[in-house]
Amino acid sequence: MAVSTLLEPQLLRRLEALVVLVRRSVKGQMGGERRSLSRGRSPEFADFRNYTPGDDYRLIDWNAYARLDRYMLRLFVAEEELPLSLFVDLSGSMDWGRPNKALTARRLAAAIAYVALASLDRVRLTVFAEGPTSGGAPYRGRHSAQGLFSRIASFPAGGPTDYARLVWPIGRQRPGMTVLITDGLGESPIEPAITALQQARQEGAVLQLLAPQEVDLDWTGDARLRDAETGAEREFTATPATQAAYRSALASRTDEIEHVARRRGLRFARLTTDQPVEDMVQRTLRRLGLLG
Amino acid sequence: MTFLVPAAAALAITLPAIVALYFLRIRRPTRVVPALHLWPDQIRDRQANVPWQRLRMSWLLLLQLLVAAFLVAAALQPALPASANLAQHSIVLLDSSASMQAKDVAPSRFDEARRQVGVLIDELGPLDRITLISLQSTPRIVVSSAGDRDAIRRALAGMAPTNGPADLSAALALAGGVVRPGENARAYLFGDGIVLPLRASFAAGLPFPIEYHKVGVSGENVALTSLVVRTSAQTRAAYLRVHNFGQQARTFTLEWRSDAGLIDVRQMTLAAGQAQDLVLPVPDAATIVTARIDSKDNFALDDSVTAIARSPRAFHVLLVTPGNVFLEQALRLRTDFQLDVVAPTAYTSSTPYAMTVFDRFSPRALPEAPFVMVDPPAGSPLAGGAAVGIGRVRASDAGDPLLANVSLQDVHVARSQDLTTSSFGRALITSLQTPLVLVRDVPFRQVLVGFDIHESDLPLRIGFPVLVQNLSEWMLPASVPSRSFHPDEAVTIVPEGGVTSVSVVRPDGSRRSLATAAIATFGETDLLGVYTVEQTVAGKIDRSWFNVNLFSDSTSALAPVDHITLPPAKTGIGSQASHRGFLQLWPWIALLGLGLVIAEWLAFHRGL
Repeated sequence: MAVSTLLEPQLLRRLEALVVLVRRSVKGQMGGERRSLSRGRSPEFADFRNYTPGDDYRLIDWNAYARLDRYMLRLFVAEEELPLSLFVDLSGSMDWGRPNKALTARRLAAAIAYVALASLDRVRLTVFAEGPTSGGAPYRGRHSAQGLFSRIASFPAGGPTDYARLVWPIGRQRPGMTVLITDGLGESPIEPAITALQQARQEGAVLQLLAPQEVDLDWTGDARLRDAETGAEREFTATPATQAAYRSALASRTDEIEHVARRRGLRFARLTTDQPVEDMVQRTLRRLGLLG
Repeated sequence: MTFLVPAAAALAITLPAIVALYFLRIRRPTRVVPALHLWPDQIRDRQANVPWQRLRMSWLLLLQLLVAAFLVAAALQPALPASANLAQHSIVLLDSSASMQAKDVAPSRFDEARRQVGVLIDELGPLDRITLISLQSTPRIVVSSAGDRDAIRRALAGMAPTNGPADLSAALALAGGVVRPGENARAYLFGDGIVLPLRASFAAGLPFPIEYHKVGVSGENVALTSLVVRTSAQTRAAYLRVHNFGQQARTFTLEWRSDAGLIDVRQMTLAAGQAQDLVLPVPDAATIVTARIDSKDNFALDDSVTAIARSPRAFHVLLVTPGNVFLEQALRLRTDFQLDVVAPTAYTSSTPYAMTVFDRFSPRALPEAPFVMVDPPAGSPLAGGAAVGIGRVRASDAGDPLLANVSLQDVHVARSQDLTTSSFGRALITSLQTPLVLVRDVPFRQVLVGFDIHESDLPLRIGFPVLVQNLSEWMLPASVPSRSFHPDEAVTIVPEGGVTSVSVVRPDGSRRSLATAAIATFGETDLLGVYTVEQTVAGKIDRSWFNVNLFSDSTSALAPVDHITLPPAKTGIGSQASHRGFLQLWPWIALLGLGLVIAEWLAFHRGL
């Protein structure tokens, strides 16, 4: 997939005005524009402490020495990068719908990543289906956006979803922000992955992405249904009654995901692919407090 | 019960076919879905998903079988025996005469009769045929030997009542033409039974049986049955006859008008069956007079009548005679004749007359105009052979209109010229020895009488002035007769000399153009009212009028006839040859089938 078709230049320019919002301070590896749990160099004063040998003597507050006759170090709030992890579901069930869910997931992930990169945050990409696949070394800075976009576009979609296999890569994350983009329709339960997010002290968000055709069925009659992930088949007759049963099962599944996510302190939003990506970003994610 | 289309039973194959569809594996299109585990394990109506699976109970299957069964039953067209006895060829005579416009049955007798005909059409069998005839003054075939019920119904809906009488004889003659010899036919007469008497030719028997279906219940009607305007030297008056044909006394208002306006209004009461003659004034300037009553009875056609009040045009007539008081008096009876009487010696041909009567005198040159030549002298151009003795006389054709109301029973002629070899024209009155009176149409209407009036007792008979009247009216017909005609009666119009256009404006304002070169017969007199004849002579329009009134006691009597006495059918087509009509049930069965289709649709959507 061509990079240029993933996100339009105009959209990229508008995304530069946004920033990924976190509720608490973060601790990154490199300087950035975020308040860090560590004290560092910045214009914002944090505290005093006694000087011990080895400290940077340039930080000694000579005014305090004059008043107290003690060496006191002046501490400042450190500004560090935000570690942002994107977990994008590219299983077989995502390769479905008009517009295609996998394509929309790629675009949405690219948009969130670009917002982070523009703020000098560090972005780590992981795609998953039956198992997780790393998107390579973390990306940082706006210049790395093209590489990240290419990487997102390069992964094929297909295979079953196994959320349990996300537990290990999620647990490896340093505290930060993790965004999980999935349709949540895999046969395996999503709860282990969400629990792992909480345990990894991730300030996360679960974005459930569905196609409009699976929310409102656009067909009736007899059909042989084939599962997009497993290839399993079943004969079915879509009548008003059976359609209602399907809608009920889908609603039950999405309610369950939302309930689990909120219980673990994660943000949750349900999106449909007929919604433009910019609309998702500017309206849904800003209302969700994920972007600002 | 009878099935009209038994071959439709083959459609019953659809029932096992539906069951088989439940047995057989159906082909389902494959649809890829994101998460199969979310879809309920539910398949419609228990259709088998493996071949020859055991059939399970399903409401949908049951309803579909019922729908198919009902549709097959409707296609079989089951029918119950109906009330009517039908022949293979049914001839329906629908009375469309004036009396069928009576409203003693709602909405009218005609509409009720038409409804009954519709019922008969519904009862037709699949092989039955029908001929629909409109029974009116000139009956016409509306549908000829057809079996297409929809086409028959459309034709029936297009029929309308007329203002004329019902000529049953003509209708039967017409029907006889569409019935093939030996065909099983039966006629059905729907009407009030007010028909013209059957002609003698049917006395030997009818070509097929006739079943009479009476329509109408009441004869309550007050009618204006006659209106005539008489002009004498002293007075001008109208004679109007009002008749209560009903069984109850009636009070009503009579309105008397001329074209100048209202003349008189009077309240009248007539006992049951009473008739009253009225003499009503006619203004000198009146052209048309109208009488109208508001009797609020069941029949409106005879509640208004018209008459032409204008005096007819006068003719100049010349009688050349040495003296004949009989001829002179008979000619003077015509009020529209200006008669000049001259002796033969005073005759000159310079003065043109509309008609000349030569009595025992013949000019050297005969006028190129209508004339009557009585006993031409020997040697004259029209003189016959030697005189022969005659006795009794008789009519050449008893039905000749020129002899209408003329009785020749006691008429004798002493002597007459022998006109046996005369080539003058056809004989009107003749004897054993020789023709006595000859008439011809060309070059002009002319009459040749072979005997001297005085040598006969004809002028002493009451028929003589009538004969003179008939002959003079024939020779000098009014350009436009100003009398009243009956509906559908033909009117003879003789265009004036030098006329460039002739047209008739009917009461509804429609105009009909007539030929100017010859005597025209105008037959479109179906509407009641005043007809205006417009003739253009030298750029000037000359108007004259005639009128059409119902003036039919038999129609105005209105009471429907309980039984029409008709001769028996000639052939032995009886009840054994006829069959009962059918009351078809398929529309109701199809309706039930439609209800089941709706139930099946509802059952499907409720997931039964």
